[in-house]
Amino acid sequence: MAPSIACDEHLDMNVLDEQLRELIPRLRRFAVSLTRNSSSADDLVQASLERALSNWGEKRADGDLRAWLFAILYRQFLDAHRRSRRYARMLEFFTGRDDTEPSVERTVIAQSTLQAFDRLPTEQRALLLMVSVEGLSYKEVAEILGTPLGTVMSRLSRARQALRQLSDGEISSPSLRILK
Amino acid sequence: MISLPPNERDLHAYVDHQLSDADRRVLETWLASHPDEAALVRAWQQDAQQLRAALSGALQQPANPALDPALIRQRRQRQSRRHLASAALLLIAVSIGGFSGWQAREMTLVRASVLPMTDALQAYRLIAQQGLLPADYQVDNDGDMQRWLDRYFTQASRLPDLTAAGFEPVSGRLLSTDEGPAAMVMYEDRSGHKVSFYVRPPGPKNTFLPRGRRSDGDLQAEYWSGDGYNYAMVSPTDLPAAQLLKPLQPF
Repeated sequence: MAPSIACDEHLDMNVLDEQLRELIPRLRRFAVSLTRNSSSADDLVQASLERALSNWGEKRADGDLRAWLFAILYRQFLDAHRRSRRYARMLEFFTGRDDTEPSVERTVIAQSTLQAFDRLPTEQRALLLMVSVEGLSYKEVAEILGTPLGTVMSRLSRARQALRQLSDGEISSPSLRILK
Repeated sequence: MISLPPNERDLHAYVDHQLSDADRRVLETWLASHPDEAALVRAWQQDAQQLRAALSGALQQPANPALDPALIRQRRQRQSRRHLASAALLLIAVSIGGFSGWQAREMTLVRASVLPMTDALQAYRLIAQQGLLPADYQVDNDGDMQRWLDRYFTQASRLPDLTAAGFEPVSGRLLSTDEGPAAMVMYEDRSGHKVSFYVRPPGPKNTFLPRGRRSDGDLQAEYWSGDGYNYAMVSPTDLPAAQLLKPLQPF
C-alpha cells in the first residue's frame, strides 16, 4: 500500500471523520451507561474525540477503531470521576456537607433488565455493555479495561450473576452495594 | 478445543459467540443433556438480549452537533492552547447535584494565566454571560451575602456596596482554581446588568497584585490585593454604570 502523502491528507481526514461519525452513537451510549447523565455523557464523548484526534498517531494501524475509542472514553471517565470526587471533597470542605450521594445499599426490586443494569456498579455496566451489547471480544475488553483476560472473565461472571439476581427481583446481596 | 464438562468461562464464551464453530457444536450437544446449565445459559442469553433491546434506544439520540469530528478538529486548531486543558481536566460531575460535566469542565478552565485575574474574567463569562453553574447561594435578605462570603473567606475585604449605582448582590458561587478556592458574588441592577466581585487566595506563588485595571474583549476587570487575598471586579465594558462603579469601590 502506498504511504499517504500530503495531498491525501485532507481526504484521509474526511474518511476518518466519517468513521468517527458512525461510531458516535455507540460512544454516546457507552458514555451514558457510565455517567448515567446525558449531558455529562456528551462531554465525555467530546473530550474523548478530542483526545482521539490529538493522539491519532498512537492508534495501532491494525487495531479496531471502536475498541480504541472505547478505551479512550473509559480512561477519560475514570480520570474525570477521580477529579469529580476530589472536587466533591473540596465542596464538602467548603460547605460542610457531602454533595456526593452516599453509597446506598440497593435493595429496590428491579422491574426490568434496564433498571437492573442501571443499578450495577460502573465497572459491571461497562463490561456488560461492551461484551453483551457491543459484542467486543474478551481480548479487546481486557485491553480497554487494562486488566488481564482472566480478570475480565471473573468480572463478567460476577456482572452476569448480579444482573441475573437483580432482574429476577432478588434483593441485592451486600456484595452488590455500589462502592464509590 | 474445550474439554467437557465445560467450565464457566466456556459457558460465557458460548453466550457471547466467542467460541469456535467446533467448540460451539460440542457445547450445544453437551447442554442438550444438562438442563441446569442449559437454563443458566438461556437466562444469560435472555438478559443479554433484553439489554441489547433496552439499550438500542440509546443509539437513536438526536445528533449533538458539538460532537461532530470535523467541528472538533476545527475547534482544536483554533484552541490548541485550551484543548489539552479541556481534555485532561474534564470533570464529570456524576455525583454533584446541579452540575453538568460540561460546566464543570469549563470550570476547570478557570485558571489563572499570565495576565492578572484571568480566572475572574473567565468565571464571569461562564456564569454571567453563558449562564452556567447554578448559584451555590442566593440572596433572600439583606446582609446574607456578606455572611455567606464570611463563611469561606473570613479575612476578606467587605463586599463593596454598589447600591448607589443600582447594583445589589444576588448570588454567590464557589469555584475551584489553580490558585485555590475562589468565591464569586454576582451583583445585578434592575435592568439585569451584571457585575461580579471575585475573591481568592494569591496562589502558591503568593502573587499579590498592584491595583490595576484591564479589559479583555467585552469585559473589564479591576483588580487588587489586600488582607491576604486577591480580588477582582468584573463588568462589561459597555455597561452604562461602569463609570459609576469605579469611584464607589472602597478599596
